[in-house]
Amino acid sequence: MSDPQPPHPVPRIPEQDPAAEGVLVALAVAGDRAAFGALVERYAGVARRVAWAILGNADDADDAAQDAMLSALVKLDQYDPRRPFGPWLLRIVANAATDRRRRRSVRRSEPLDVGFAAGGPRPDATAERRALGERLRQALAALSERRRAAVVLFDVEGYSHAEIAAILGIPEGTVRSEVFHGRRRLRALLGDWKEEA
Amino acid sequence: MKESLSFDHRPDAALGDALRRALDPGDPAPFVARVLARADQVRAVSWDTVLARWSRLGVAAAALVALSAGYVVGRAGMSAPAAQPSMAETLLVHPAQADVGIVLASVIDN
Repeated sequence: MSDPQPPHPVPRIPEQDPAAEGVLVALAVAGDRAAFGALVERYAGVARRVAWAILGNADDADDAAQDAMLSALVKLDQYDPRRPFGPWLLRIVANAATDRRRRRSVRRSEPLDVGFAAGGPRPDATAERRALGERLRQALAALSERRRAAVVLFDVEGYSHAEIAAILGIPEGTVRSEVFHGRRRLRALLGDWKEEA
Repeated sequence: MKESLSFDHRPDAALGDALRRALDPGDPAPFVARVLARADQVRAVSWDTVLARWSRLGVAAAALVALSAGYVVGRAGMSAPAAQPSMAETLLVHPAQADVGIVLASVIDN
């Protein structure tokens, strides 16, 4: 089943310019440092977010995303340029994050600051956004690793269910279910936040 | 943000924006710099690996060539025409042909 186009296009890196991206990949395979740097820069954000979604903390996420980028560099000659680069790279990122999670007893996210959690003082909009961010991160941390990754890939990065299935190595139906249950939990939390505010 | 909890297939832009802000990893420049620095090391290591692999291949090829050469030389030695029989062999096999000339030739050769 194909996914309909979203009503509001989600900013999505892989759709920027696939042809130019193919050229960058070819140059990087040939050893062009600047081309590889451009690819890393282009995908740094999404790679770190996806790794965060799986690992649950920023430091481990950065390490995993970094390992994944280097692993991708080594495997670049195996990349099929007829396929989109983003899902290929993010599959490596997801695997690196999952491996890191298995290897280590990954610490859970830091407990939410009580002041934020209880809806403490919110002097301005910036503090309010920061508080909401903390609360969202806490809510994400309460989801399973796979559910977090599915929601982030779908609602933040704009990938289709089929692409997420390929990235996470799970059936498409499972992706739909994970996205549904994950966003329901997050929406409920955001709804509560609005009522509190 | 959508209020419906239906099983829809479209990204939720509001939820996505909120999550993107919450998961913002910050300035990518230090991250990119770290990756590129490590990439340089990986490339250097991979060149070392390539050279080491070629070196191992070279040693293996040299050993193979040496073995082949030894085999060929050995085979050539085995198939070479028999050497002149020694004087002792001549005397044992054909005692009737033994004469002073043969004995002297043997002494001179030695």
